[in-house]
Order: sequence, then C-alpha cells, then structure tokens
Amino acid sequence: MRPAGRHALGWWGLILPAFLLMTAFYVAPILQVLAISFTEPQPGLGNYERLLTSESVQRVIGTTLRIGVVTTAIALLLGYALAYRIALSGPRAQRWWLLAVLVPLWISVLVRAFAWVTLLRRQGLVNQGLMAAGAIEQPLALVWNEFGIVVGMVHYMVPYAVLPMLSAMREIDPRVLAAARGLGAGRAGAFLRVFLPLSLPGVIAAGVLVFIFSLGFYITPAILGGGKTLMAAEWIKLQILDLIRWGLGAMLATVLVVAILATLAVFSRLVNLRRLFGAGG
Amino acid sequence: MSGRAGHALSLQGLSKRYGSFVAVQDASLEVGSGRFLTLLGPSGSGKTTILMMIAGFVEPSEGRVLLDGRDITAVPPERREFGMVFQGYALFPHMTVAENVAFPLRVRRLGRAERDARVRATLDLVQLDQFADRRPSQLSGGQQQRVALARALVFDPALLLLDEPLSALDKKLRAELQDELKALHRRVGRTFINVTHDQEEALSLSDEIAILNAGRLVQVGAPSALYERPATRFVAGFLGRSNFVEGEAERDAGGIVLRRGGTRVLGVGEAPPGPALLSLRPEKITVLAEGEGEENVVEGRIAAWSYLGAGYAITVATADLGELKVHLPAWRIPLVPAEGMPVRLGWPRGAAVAVAEDPA
Amino acid sequence: MGGHRPGWLSAWVSWATVLYLLLPITIILPVSLTDQRFLSLPYEALSLQHYARLLTTPAWTDAIGQSALIASASTLVAVVLGTACAIGCWRLSRRSTELVRALMLLPIIIPSIAYAVGLYRYFARLGLLDSFTGVVVAHGVTGIPYVVITVSTALAAFDPRLESAARGMGATLAQTLRWVILPRIMPGIVSGAIFAFIHSWDELVVVLFIASRRVFTLPRKIWDGINENLDPAMAAVAVLLVGMTVLLLLLDLALRRQRAD
Repeated sequence: MRPAGRHALGWWGLILPAFLLMTAFYVAPILQVLAISFTEPQPGLGNYERLLTSESVQRVIGTTLRIGVVTTAIALLLGYALAYRIALSGPRAQRWWLLAVLVPLWISVLVRAFAWVTLLRRQGLVNQGLMAAGAIEQPLALVWNEFGIVVGMVHYMVPYAVLPMLSAMREIDPRVLAAARGLGAGRAGAFLRVFLPLSLPGVIAAGVLVFIFSLGFYITPAILGGGKTLMAAEWIKLQILDLIRWGLGAMLATVLVVAILATLAVFSRLVNLRRLFGAGG
Repeated sequence: MSGRAGHALSLQGLSKRYGSFVAVQDASLEVGSGRFLTLLGPSGSGKTTILMMIAGFVEPSEGRVLLDGRDITAVPPERREFGMVFQGYALFPHMTVAENVAFPLRVRRLGRAERDARVRATLDLVQLDQFADRRPSQLSGGQQQRVALARALVFDPALLLLDEPLSALDKKLRAELQDELKALHRRVGRTFINVTHDQEEALSLSDEIAILNAGRLVQVGAPSALYERPATRFVAGFLGRSNFVEGEAERDAGGIVLRRGGTRVLGVGEAPPGPALLSLRPEKITVLAEGEGEENVVEGRIAAWSYLGAGYAITVATADLGELKVHLPAWRIPLVPAEGMPVRLGWPRGAAVAVAEDPA
Repeated sequence: MGGHRPGWLSAWVSWATVLYLLLPITIILPVSLTDQRFLSLPYEALSLQHYARLLTTPAWTDAIGQSALIASASTLVAVVLGTACAIGCWRLSRRSTELVRALMLLPIIIPSIAYAVGLYRYFARLGLLDSFTGVVVAHGVTGIPYVVITVSTALAAFDPRLESAARGMGATLAQTLRWVILPRIMPGIVSGAIFAFIHSWDELVVVLFIASRRVFTLPRKIWDGINENLDPAMAAVAVLLVGMTVLLLLLDLALRRQRAD
C-alpha cells in the first residue's frame, strides 16, 4: 500500500524542505569546493598536477594515510576486545559498559583534546608523575608530535569502532559458540574458527568508518600535533585561511571527499550508519 | 447510528498492474445496498488489492469505482467515508479503546458531547462498554477485533471494508465471531465487503461471494449457487472438494452426456460438444446397496479409506473414471469398508456439473 | 551467553580501554578545582575560583549564551526538517527516497573541513559570514542526519497500517501526523534533538571559517584558550561541557528505556 501518484504528493511535500535546505546549503557549498579546485588560480588541472609534483602535498597525504592506518589498526584492536567483552556480558553489565563507550563518543572533541594536552605536555600530569616517581629524569615528548596525535585520535575513534562491531557480534547466535565447544573446540578454537569469522563484517564496517573519519579529522591533530605534524584537514585550513591559496586547499579537500565517498561506496553493503546511532539502547 | 441504509458499490473494469506484474485484471462487480459480499481467493489472487482499490489506498491502473453511481476513483481514502477493519486491526496502541473509537469523530471535528455519546453507543453495540479505558494491548484478540469494528462503524460509514478480519484468531473464537459479525451486519444494515482466504468463513457469512484466482474474478454469486453450480475447475476445487471427470461431451435433453471409455456420465450444465469436464462433489456420491439404482452408476474397488468420526472418506478406483473420492456419513454406509472391496457408486444427474477449464 | 566467557586477555584489554576512554575526561575535574593559577592538580585545597571566574567573565558567559542560542535554534531546524523528511521517506519508501536518505547522511560522512571551506566562499557571496543566521543554518543542516537516523529507527518499529487506518477513517495528512505518527515516534525525535543539540554545541570547524567577531561560540572560545593560554578556567568550562553532555545522554538513555517498555 505504498502511496503512488497524487496520494504521494503530501508525503513528498514532507521531504521537500529538508531536501531543498540540504541542496542549497550543503551540496552547493561542497560543489563550490569542487569548482574552485578546477578554476583557481587558473582554470585547468593545475592544482591536481601538484598531487604528482609537489613534495609538500605528497608529504601531507602520506602523513594522513599513515596516521589513519595506525589509528584504525589500534582502534580496531582495542575496540574489538571491548565489543567482545560487552557482547558476552549480561544485560545489566552491558548497559554500564555501553555507557562507558557512549559518554566519550558524545563528549566534545575539544574537551578531549584539551584533557590530553593537560596530561601529556612537558609540564603535564603524566610527565610530572613519572618524574616524581623517579622513572625518568627529563620530561618525555608525549605531545605536539605524531605520538600525541595518535593517542588523541584513537581515543576519539574507539567508540566508533566498538559500535558496529558490537552490533555484528550481537547478531551471532550464542548457541553456535556452545555448539563449537560441544563439538570439541577449545576456548581459543571456538573463538578463532567461529566467533571471529562471524564478527568479521562488523570489523570491516568499523575499520571503514574509523579510517574515513580519520582522514578528514581536524581538531585533534591540530591541537595535539602542535602545528608540526600536518594532516590533510589542517593543511587545507592553512592553505585557505593563512596562505590564501584557495585552489590548492580546495583540491585537497576534493580529493579527501572523493576518497571517502569512494571507500564508502566500495563497502556500502557493510557500513550501516543508522545502526551506529541506534545502538545506544 | 442514523437509520441511513447501505450504499451500492460498483466496480467497472478494474485493473492494477505493478510494472509487468498484473495483480488484478479487469474486475467488474456490483454490490447491492446492505449486502454482505466476500472476496474469496488464495493468497496472491488479488483480493486484497481489490479491497485496497475500493478503500482508495491503491490507485487502479484502469477502470472505475462507483458509489451509488457516482465515480469515486479519484477520491482519496480519507474522503471516501468508508469504514475499514484492517488485517491485524491496526488499533492505535497509544490510545485507549474509547480514544481509538473516537478517532474518526475527532478528525471530523465533532463536538465533545456528541462524540462521547456516539462512542458509548458504538461500544455498546459491540459489547465493549466496560473496556472503554483499556489500552488495546490489554485486550484479547476477539476484543481487539470488536474495537476495530466499533472504530470502523462509529462514523456511520457508507461501506464497511473488512480485510481478513478473523484470520488472527484461533479456530474456535473465529466461529464465534463469525456469528457475531453476521448478527452485526443484520443490525446495522450497512453494506459489508469482506476479504478472506477461508472458504468456510465465506460460505457462512456472505450474501454473495466473488471468487478470485490469479488476479481475475472467476465467479460471483450466492454461496449455495457457487457451491452447487461452480463455473470452473478452480471454483469447484477451491470452494469445497471435488472429483473431476474428463471426457467427450454431447448435449441431450437433461443437460450433457460425458463419454469416457465405455462409461457414460449424465450431468447438468452447458458445454459445447467435444472435450469437457464434470465436477462431482464427494459427498453427493453414495455407495449403493444390493439392488439399489441411481441415474449414474459406476463399479469399482476401494483403494483407500479413512474414518473421520462423522463418516468415512473413501477412495474408489474405477475402470474408466479413475479414482473417485467419496464422503459418506456413517449412517449411510451399507458396509464396513476394506481395501480391495468391490463397491457400486451412484449419484443423481444434478450432482455432476459441467465446469470450464480455467484460463492459464 | 551460552556459558561462553571472555578470556583474561580480552578482559584485561577491555578494562584498560575503558580506563583509557574515561580517565582523561575525569582528570579535568580535579584540575578544574585547583587552587593554583596554572593547570595542575590541587596543591593544598580545592577551590572553585576558576568556576567563579568563568561565570563572571563576560567573554565566557557571552560565548556560553551564544552557543546555547545557536544550538537551540539549529536543533529546531534540524528536528523539524529531519523528522518530516524521515517520515516522508519512510512512507514512500522507494529507490528515490533511499537516495534522499543517503543524501541526508552526507554531513556525517564528508569531513567538516571540506564543508567549511565551501561554506566560507558560499556565505561570503550571500552576506551570511559572521552572522547568527549563517551559523544556525550551517549547524541545522549538519544536524539533520542525526534526526533522520533516530527518527528512521523509530519509524522502523511503527506499523504502517496505523497510518492507513487513520487515513481510511478520514484523517488528513496533518491530523495523521499529529495524532498518530508523531506521538508514536516521539522518543526517536527527542533522541535526534539531543544529538543535534550536542552536535551544534560542540561544533568548531565550520565556526572557525564562517564566524569571526560577532558570532563567537563556546568551542571557538575554548579553541582560542587552548592555543593561547592554558589556564584552569579551561578545565572548568570543560567540566561544564562534559556535565551537560552526560546529562543529555542519560536523558536519552532513560527515554530509550521507556520506549522499550
């Protein structure tokens, strides 16, 4: 009983305002970025040529990919252990574990970056603590470098890794584990041969999600990188607001968007964003 | 409830296609004022699609729907003033019984006092007056069904449409509510259109049955007329059970004569000379006692039998007519059946009805 | 779960991960209560002086006020448009509406830096830079996905026959929405509103580009604070932000539980 023809008009009317606003104030600005990348400073592919010729552009892309891969790997590892733990605990315990994942997810990125600065800087609590304990003589360089960025980014990404993996694990029939044990598989065997393969779609979904979020990340790398390690987003901001090189900034922004959409398209069957935000209850 | 009589509905050449799939093809039907019509067919036969076109939820690809001669094909469902009982009832779970029943009056912006009075009267009608403040989830299946009926009747609709109203209930309750539904129809005097796949329900409730198969209306008529004189093999097989006998037909004064091998079967109905088909109800065949005669007599042996309590179901293998199924009440059987036992079967001419093959 | 218990390795890693997630956030509480004038743990006594300073410095209170106003207005935009859109897509449910829904999710997927760059130029032409309206529109549009997601989830559990039943009984589209659909999906709408609010309340990247002097939100103020002078007032404002988020999330959890009953 799907409404069709004139019965459907009213329902289309409900969609229209959001569609118009989204087109006028989201899609159009994004398309503008695309346009700028081809037209400024001169029309043509000049900006994209830099992908092949400019060492600074290549370095930024390399740094972004490297940090993205490292972040994704660590976030998946920690997230998997956590999701596994949550999936196997009782309903009451599950709620508390889940809260421990959801609270950081929604806490301001800025606040979290600030907290890491407080902890990790030279006069920070970690260095002070270690020096007071006599473990180190000189403060360690824990922040304003790639290490700091990864610590902060993994912290941001772990919840995004947990939720898709958890929803995949929840769909695994617990009886198959019991069956595997009953058929003679040990604890490790049951996990490796049964649970892990069944949870793999969730792992891939989580990996895709974390990786694409890492690529365009701005705030955490900007604060914890201290301007020394540049990732794509900060480099774009630098080109546009400080160096007024619109074409170049827009070019990398376009590359970023295309790369992310392409990744998502390839894995579209596995990544269900809606699940992510429905997983709270 | 006002004393308004029912309304007459007419479907003219109604078709519905989804892409290349034809859900309903060229259905035409007249439903007289105050009648109880049932659309009967197996799942996928298009009966619900027809009901939804009557209700206005589905737009016909072709054809028209007329109410008292007025074309309402283009009228949206909310302006048709039809009451509808949905499959599974579709009661609003966040409203009480009274609020559910008041809903159609609320959307019509009726005054509070009149609204309350009509809700009370309608709940009385379905004997749910003490349940007014309950939520649907606190009611039994049968009570929910009655709330759905009350909600569909409270605004004095031109027609009442019922989509499998009894299918969610267990068998015993279903029989009970069938009687109630029939009594309700008589009391309110409205035109009812019911959809079901249950042939017993259709036979017991309806003034008229329209049988559907694969998107086509096959036959329309009173239950007894359809049962006694099915028009096609499908109708004969779907409404009750039937034996089918194929052979070469000739006309004679009483109807037709079907020849198969060395056996001639006298039947009623019309069939052009040539290959034809007779339908023969198992309960209309009797086992003849020694010396007893009938218009049609065939000899055979019992191939299988089972005891059903009220009678026997016997399969008899015959030389020319193949296997015939026979249902016999226990008191009418002159013998104790046994496999291989020779029997003589007999039936009156009127029991063998010429039926057409269904179009593929 | 079938008697299958996680092993010591996963137990150890998961506890460590939870501590890693939560400790840095909780550490700001003692820091915000320090009696010193620089970022540190309290030396001799707990002190609320930094909270007092926060709430009496017009620069901070203005920023908080502006953020609250912008978040409220943009939440309204996101909730009204997002809910209507989710309902329309749900009811029509065909390939084209799947595309619309995918379109509505773009703001979560595309990095905000790309959007901010484009919006900067776009708003410059429309004269919306550094304006309240501009920021509300930007945050409203980017808040729509959260509402579309939560409302769609709520609608997935809604029996579409209820809508047909209402229409069949003579209800107009508006009446059906008001009396049948909206009451049933209200928890989903509230969830969406909470997420849209948090989104706007925390949003920085777009604001960095399209706002400068007249519109100065709380995240912008914190950003400047982190880059210029790290002082304990920052910790105090961070605690306030965390407190607010936790409160909103608990509200959301309570609503979800109610919906589950």
